[in-house]
Formats: sequence, C-alpha cells, structure tokens
Amino acid sequence: MERKMFLQNGLAALGLGLVIPLACKKDATITSSSGTTSASTGSSSSDSCTVTDSETAGPYPTKSPSSYVRSNIVDGQPGVPLTIKINIANTNNSCSALANAVVDIWHCNAAGYYSEYVDGSGGNYPTVDYTSSHFLRGRQTTDANGSVTFTSIFPGWYTGRAPHIHVHVYNSSGTSLLVTQMAFPADVCNTVYTTASNYVAHGTQDTSNEADSILGDSLDNELTVVTGNITDGYTLTHTIYVSA
Amino acid sequence: MAKGMIRLVHRIVIDNTNTNAWEKCALNDSYTEFLMQVQLYNKEKKYHTFSELQQQVPGAEKLHFLVSASVTAYIRQFNGLVPGIVNIHGKPFLPFKQYRFEIIDSDVANAANHCIAISFVTEPCLWIDTIGSTMIIAPGAGNTGNINIQEEVFTETVTLSSRLSIYSFKPAENLWYHNQTEKCS
Repeated sequence: MERKMFLQNGLAALGLGLVIPLACKKDATITSSSGTTSASTGSSSSDSCTVTDSETAGPYPTKSPSSYVRSNIVDGQPGVPLTIKINIANTNNSCSALANAVVDIWHCNAAGYYSEYVDGSGGNYPTVDYTSSHFLRGRQTTDANGSVTFTSIFPGWYTGRAPHIHVHVYNSSGTSLLVTQMAFPADVCNTVYTTASNYVAHGTQDTSNEADSILGDSLDNELTVVTGNITDGYTLTHTIYVSA
Repeated sequence: MAKGMIRLVHRIVIDNTNTNAWEKCALNDSYTEFLMQVQLYNKEKKYHTFSELQQQVPGAEKLHFLVSASVTAYIRQFNGLVPGIVNIHGKPFLPFKQYRFEIIDSDVANAANHCIAISFVTEPCLWIDTIGSTMIIAPGAGNTGNINIQEEVFTETVTLSSRLSIYSFKPAENLWYHNQTEKCS
C-alpha cells in the first residue's frame, strides 16, 4: 500500500497519466491521472496496509515465448547433424542485411514425417507429447547481419517432393514478408540417403529438384549450398531476399 | 479384481471471459501466434475467422497444431500433472504427457472472438473399482500394469464430469498382473 501511495502521489504530482497492463499477471491497473489507484481484487482500508490477495493453487504462469523460439530444433529426432545458416536481405534497401526479421523454419524428419497431429486408426482423438511435440520446427530473429542459425538434422524426403526446408519470414511485427522453401544439392542428398544409418532404409528421393512441382522452376534462388560429411555433419548456407 | 487400465481426458475451454492468469496467458499468446500462422493460409486476407478458413482453405485445420506451440511452454509449467483435478489434499495427481490444443474459433480482426480448448490425456491409470459415482484409480500403478496385485496400491478417486471423461480402456484380462493372479490361484 505504501508503494502504491507513493506511485499514485508521485505520478500525480508529475501530472502523468499512466496505465500499465501487467501481462500474464493478475489484472491490475494503476491509473494516476484520476488520482485513484485500483486493483481488480484488492481491498481498501484506512489502515496503512491490506491483506495480501489470495490466489488459487497451482502454478503461477511465467510469461513464456512460443516453443518455436529456439535455435536447436532437433527434439530427439535421429539423423545426420545439419547446421542451417540463413541470411535475410532486403531488396528495398540495396539488398542489405535485414535485422530483426523473424524467421520460421520447418522440415520433415529422416523418415519423411513432420511434427503434427496424426489421426490414428479407428478415428481416435490425436494428441502429441508436450515435451517434444514440435520437433524440427523453430523460430529465430535475425541479428545485425541479417543472420539466423538453427541446429537440426538433415531432412528426409516424402513421396512426390524433393528434399526441402520450409521458411516463413516475418518483419519484426509479425507481418508475413515471404513464404518460401530451400532445396538441397542432389549429390549431398544422394550421399546421405544411401549411406547414413537413419536414412538408408527409406532410400533415395523419388523426385529430383528439377522435377519438383514447387522448386523446379526456381532453383536459381532456392538451391542452397551444403558442405560437410556424414560423420561431422553438414552446414547449409543460404540467402533469402525479401521486400521489407 | 481391477477392471482394467484407463486413460482419462480433461478438457478446458478458454475465452476472454476466463480470469485465471494461466488461462489469460495461454489465450493471449495463442492469439498472437494465430495472427502469425494464419498468414500461411490467408495470403490475400480474404477471411476473418478461423471458421471461414476451415471451410474455404485446404490445410487450414493444421492451424490447430501450428498455433499450439504458443502454449507448450505454459503446459510445461504444470510439471506433467493435469491441472484442475485435485485430490483431497488439494494437489494435482493425474500424470499426463499427451495433450491436444484446438482453436474453437478466432478472428483476425477481433481478439475477443478468440476461443481455444486444451485437452490433457493422462498416462494409463489402474481402474480398480467404482463406488457410486466415484472411480477408484491408481495412477502410479498405471505405467505398465506390471504390479503385484497382492501388495498395497496407493489410490486416488475421481468423479467424471462434462470436462473429465475416459479416453481409452484396456480390460484387465490383458494386463500382466491379472494373468499373474490367475496363475497364483
């Protein structure tokens, strides 16, 4: 109460009107412009102190970002390590680096499956394990050099598509700038899919980059550079151009 | 003796009338994530509501899963125990790992219309018996069914409701301990 009074009197003295929403905490608003202080469940008294508000049992939430926000997106999925380095450049600013862009990526696992809800046989109610439900999906914000880096595994493939990673680039406000995909060099895919233990059983991809319905006509700007080997892992580097 | 192994499902629905702090966090952050993810399916900004998107845009139902990442961190804060179902000591006791997040509806133009549901599916629990409307279960004995039924089993009680139901059932004759009991007799 004493601190409330101090805030109230101090701010009122300064002539400031202030409304502070406390995200992820119980509703509380300090409104000093009217000279009153209120809290939704507080009590008033002429004494110098009041009883602390009671709360229900259970965890008190800590403001937490989306579980996409992380650089390591492996979540226990087996496969050849892959470091993904993406640079975002702005075509509206001489192709210079775009800082503070939000970059989402997602790709399938070594066997060709995405993390998602999967309907089971018999029409059950699909659920996922909360400890690893969004494997191989991640979100990073570009640094001053327009770069983000993810730690993942080399993606597998599924019928009708060449191997690829999905990318969604947003501006810092979350407005979509570009949805695109990144393709892999055929020779690297061939090496991984014919010799790496988690991929051999699935075999080589059934669709080449050139025959892919999405990547085939845009390989000039969607084909990535991938270096490395199966033992040490691979590093993918790619620049994506957006109009920001 | 025991009836079998069951998994329970507890469903909570959250909209802007909820006042619980956890629920507000889940609602607000899922709306922010919805606004980001919905752009994948609404590039021309033709639609306002999730209902419209589901009817008009193939694949829009994936938004259930895509938006769910916004609440995963909050679900972790329950430390693997279903919230809102407590024992006589006032403590949550139903272990869970599986959950499902759903968007009941939403609106890119009006956050007040954002409504979500989260279902928590428990790990297997031994269903021992039912007295009146109260089920006697042993959550701690449920993981494998591999218990000696002749030993003491710690139990809890639950009452089914419109928000708490049985998700799956495995009859006792398929459980290891039941076969073991038959052998002993």
